[in-house]
Amino acid sequence: MEKTTDRRLELLQGTLDMLVLRTLQWGPRHGHGIGQAIRQQSDELLKVETGSLYPALHRLVKRGWLKAEWGVSDANQKARFYRLTAAGKAQLTIERDRWSQLVDAIGRVMNPAAEIKE
Amino acid sequence: MRPDERELDEELRTNLEINVRERIDRGEDPAAARRAALDDLGYIPAVREEMRRVWYSRWFDVVAALIQDMRVGLRSLLRAKGLAATVVVTLALGIGANAAIFSVVRGVLLRPLVNRGEDRLVYIRQSAPGVGAPNMLFSVAEYNDIKAGATTIAAFGDFSTIDFTMLGRGEPRLLHAGVVGGSYFDVMGLRPVLGRLLNATDDGKEAAGAVVLTHRFWTTFFNSDPSIVGQPIQLGSRTATIVGVLEPSIPYPVETEIIANMVTSPHHLGATMNIERVHRMTELFGRLAPGASVENARAELTTAYAAMVREHPEAYSTNANMQLSVTPLREQITAPARTILLVLLAAAAVVFIIACSNVANLILARSVRREGELAVRAALGASSGALRRTLLAESLVLCGAGAIIGLALAQPMMSIVARYAARFSVRALDVTVDNTIVWVGASLAIAAAILLAYVPRLPSSNAPAGFGLAGTSLRITPGTNRRLRVFATTQIAFSFVLLAGAGMLVTALVALQSANSGFITQQVLAIDIFGPSNPAIVQKPSMDLYREVTQKIAELPGVDGVTGSYFVPWRDAGKYPHLRFTVEGYTPANGEENPYAKQRIVGPGYFATMGIPVVAGREFTEHDRTGKERLVIVSQSVAQRLFPNADALNRNLVVTGSLSASGTNPWPPARIVGVVADVDDDRAEHVPAMTIYPMLQDRGLPPRLLVRTSGDPYALVPSVTRIIRERSANQGTERAATLADVRAEVLTPERLNAFVVTGFAGIALLIAVVGVAGVLAFGVSARMREFGVRLAIGSTPRDLLFGVLSEGAAIVVIGIVAGVAGGYAVAGVAAGYFTNVQMPGVMPLAIAAAILVSAAVAASLMPAARASRVDVLSALRAE
Repeated sequence: MEKTTDRRLELLQGTLDMLVLRTLQWGPRHGHGIGQAIRQQSDELLKVETGSLYPALHRLVKRGWLKAEWGVSDANQKARFYRLTAAGKAQLTIERDRWSQLVDAIGRVMNPAAEIKE
Repeated sequence: MRPDERELDEELRTNLEINVRERIDRGEDPAAARRAALDDLGYIPAVREEMRRVWYSRWFDVVAALIQDMRVGLRSLLRAKGLAATVVVTLALGIGANAAIFSVVRGVLLRPLVNRGEDRLVYIRQSAPGVGAPNMLFSVAEYNDIKAGATTIAAFGDFSTIDFTMLGRGEPRLLHAGVVGGSYFDVMGLRPVLGRLLNATDDGKEAAGAVVLTHRFWTTFFNSDPSIVGQPIQLGSRTATIVGVLEPSIPYPVETEIIANMVTSPHHLGATMNIERVHRMTELFGRLAPGASVENARAELTTAYAAMVREHPEAYSTNANMQLSVTPLREQITAPARTILLVLLAAAAVVFIIACSNVANLILARSVRREGELAVRAALGASSGALRRTLLAESLVLCGAGAIIGLALAQPMMSIVARYAARFSVRALDVTVDNTIVWVGASLAIAAAILLAYVPRLPSSNAPAGFGLAGTSLRITPGTNRRLRVFATTQIAFSFVLLAGAGMLVTALVALQSANSGFITQQVLAIDIFGPSNPAIVQKPSMDLYREVTQKIAELPGVDGVTGSYFVPWRDAGKYPHLRFTVEGYTPANGEENPYAKQRIVGPGYFATMGIPVVAGREFTEHDRTGKERLVIVSQSVAQRLFPNADALNRNLVVTGSLSASGTNPWPPARIVGVVADVDDDRAEHVPAMTIYPMLQDRGLPPRLLVRTSGDPYALVPSVTRIIRERSANQGTERAATLADVRAEVLTPERLNAFVVTGFAGIALLIAVVGVAGVLAFGVSARMREFGVRLAIGSTPRDLLFGVLSEGAAIVVIGIVAGVAGGYAVAGVAAGYFTNVQMPGVMPLAIAAAILVSAAVAASLMPAARASRVDVLSALRAE
C-alpha cells in the first residue's frame, strides 16, 4: 500500500466484507478473481491485500455467509471457489442499506450547503 | 500443520498460478509475470499470522500475549538472578518432595495387587486382646471349624512357615519356606512364570514332595535358570521336586524363598499339628463367594467363630476375649505403611505451603520494587487483566523452572522414600516413576503460579498515580508490609508444627534408645544356628555336641562366656507363645486365672554371659543340663507376683493349658532354682515382663548361641563358624550381630521416622529463616530514610538494632502461638481418624520454640546491623 504514492485509496474499516459479498452476487469466484473484480470495478482505486482478503474470506465462511468449494476455472486451473449463501445474500442487503445510510449521513455533515439547496 | 493451514497454502498457490496465467495471457514475459504475481501475493507469513487469528479466535491472542509476557518475564528475571534462583530452588524442593511422596503413596496404598480378582481376597486372623495377643495364627482344628459351612467364602487358602536347610547346592543354606494346601494358589489368584503351581493333587501324605520357587529366589539364587524346573531339591532329610516358579507377587505375611506342599514338611504331617487345637501355625486367606461382600463374610465367620469358642472352653479362656477379623487383603498388606505415609504426605504438604509462602514473600517484595513499572503501564492504558497477566507469566516461568528441577529431584527423592517405606510394606520396593509424578508436579506448579500472581497488589486506579511514577525509589505501603509479615508468620507457624513433630519423634527415639535393657549389649554376640544336627549325636548317646562346641568357643582368645538359647533379645520377639503357668503352693484367688509369662529356654551360664544379676538362688550349671531333674529359673516379677512375702525357691513350677496330642504335658513340673532381675528383651510390653527360663537340655546345638567377649565381637564369627562346621558339617551360622546392633536394627523404623521428619523440619526451618530474614531486610532497605531521620534527631544505633530485632522476634512469637493453636487443632482432627495420635510433651515443644526463636534472631541480626549502620547523610540525600 505504501509502495508508491499512487492514487489508490485505503479501504474503510469494515467495508471489505461488504465488497466481497457484492462481487459474489452474480456467481462464484475464486480468491484472485474477487481481488481482481474489486480492483477493476473500482477503476483500480481499491486494491485488496492478500493479508486482508483471505482472512476476510475465511471469516465470512465461518459466519456462514459464504461457502467454499474446490473446482476448476474456465482456463482449466484448480482453484477454491466461493459462493454466496442465502444468509450471505441477506447480509449483503443489510450491509448495503447500512452503507447508504452512512454515506448519506457523512454527506450531510460534510456538505451542509447541499442540504440547504435541497 | 493443521488442515486449515495446508488448505490455505493450496489456495494461495492455485491463485498464484491463475494470476501468472492471466498475466501471460495479457502478453507479459513469463518470468516477469511470476515476479509480479508473487509481489501481488505479498508476505506469506503475515497472511498466515492473520489467518491464525481467524482460526484460533480469542485464545490465540491470549496465548500469544502470554508467551510474549513470559519472554519478557524471563528477561527481567535474568536480571534478578539471586531472587530467581532462591524462588526456583525453594519451589523445586517443595514440588519434588510432594511428587516423590505422592508417587510412593500411590504405589503402596492405591495400586492393585497382581493377584487375579484381588478385590475379592480377604485375610482372616484371630486375636486374644484379653491376654495381650493381638496377632494369633490358626490351628488346623480351628481352620477346619471355620471352613465348615462357610457360604460367603468360596474357598480358603492356608499358609504356614517353616525353615528348611537346603543341602547339596554348595554350602548348607537356611531356606525360609511356606507350606500350603492345594487350594492356596488358586484362592490367591497367582500364576506360574514357569512350570506349574501346587494344586489339590499335591495334598495328602501320599503325594510326592513338590516345591515352587518364588520369583526373587529363582532370579537371585538360580540366576533365572529355566532348566531348574523338574530338578530335585534336598531339604534337610527329605527330597522334593521343583515343579515351577511363581510370578512376582507381594509376599504376605512374610517373604519366603520357596513354597512347598504339606508332605515336604514332616512337622505338618505330625499329630501335634493336626489334632492340637492350640498348636497354631497357619495363616488363613479367603476368596469371597460371588455376590458376598466383606461385611457378609465378616458377619458369617464371626458367628461361626463364636460358636466354636463356646464349644471348646478348654482351649479358649473367657478372659482372652477371642476375636476374629476379616480384612480385605490389600488393606491388610498396606496397613502398616498407611499411617507413616500419610504423615509424610502431610509433612510434604506443609513444606510446600512454607515454600509457597516464602516465594510469595520474595515475589511480593519484588513487585513492590517494580510498582513504578506497573504504574507506568497502567497510566499508558494497560488493563488490570494485562498487568495480572504479566505477573502470571513471570510466576509461570518461575514455577515452571521450579517444577522441572523439582521433578528431576523427585526421582532420587522417591527412591529414598521408597526404600524407607519398604520397611513398612514390601510393595514400596517396586514403586516406579510414572506419569502421575509429572501431573502432580505440573498441577502444584500451576497452583503455585496462580497463587503467586494474585499476591501483589496492582496500582489501584484511585491512588495518585503520580506518586508511583515520580521516582525509582521504594514505597512500602502498610498493606504490603502486613502481607509480608503474614506470610512470614505463616511460615514460622508451619515450621513450628513440623519441628514439634520431629522433636516428639526424636524424644521418643532417645527414650527408647537410652532405656536400660538390664543386660550387656555391646560385648555380646548373638549367632543363629541352622541345619540338621550331626546324625552321630542321635545314634551315640555319649556324644554331646553342645558341650564340645561351647567348650571350644570358650577357649577362643577374649571369650568371657558362651551359652546356648532359643531366643535372641528383640530379634526373636513374639516368636514363642506366652506360657500359662502356676507354682505349687500358690493359692489363686477365687476365679483368678493362671498368669501368663514369656518363655526363654536358656543354657548354663546364660545370666553370667548376659550380665543379668541373679537375685536369689543360682543359675543353671553344665551339670544341671545333663542331669535328670527338671529345673527352671524365674524373673523377679514372677516371684513377687506369686510369693510377695515368701521364698519362691525350690517350689515346683507347672505350665498349664498346653497338652500334647497324646494328652501328656510336654512341660513336666520343674523346680525353681533361681530368681533373676527383670529385663527388657521384647518390644510388645502389653503384659508384665514376667519371664520363666526353662533349662536347655539339648545335646545338639540350640538354635541360638550367645558369646561374650572383651575383644571385637565380630572377629569371633569365622572361628565360631569353623568350630561348628568341623563337628557338624550340615550346620551353619547366620545373622551374627552384637545385641547392641540387634537393638539398633529393631529400632530402625523409629530412627528412620525421626530422621525423615527431622529432615523435613530442617528444610522448613531453613526456608522460614530465609523468609524472616528477607522480610526484615526488605523492611530495612525500604526504611533507610526513616532510619537516617531517626539517627539525625538523636536515636542511637543501638535503638535501631533492637527495634529491628524485636520486629523479628514478634513475627516468631506470633508464629509460634499460631503454630501451637493450629497444631493442637490438627492433632485433634487427626485423632478422629487415627487411633494412636499422641500429643507432644512440653519438652519437644519448648525445644522447637527455642530453635525457632534463636534461628529467627540470628536471621534478624544482619538486617538489624544494617539498620544500625545507616549513614545519616547519604540516607537523607538519597531522595
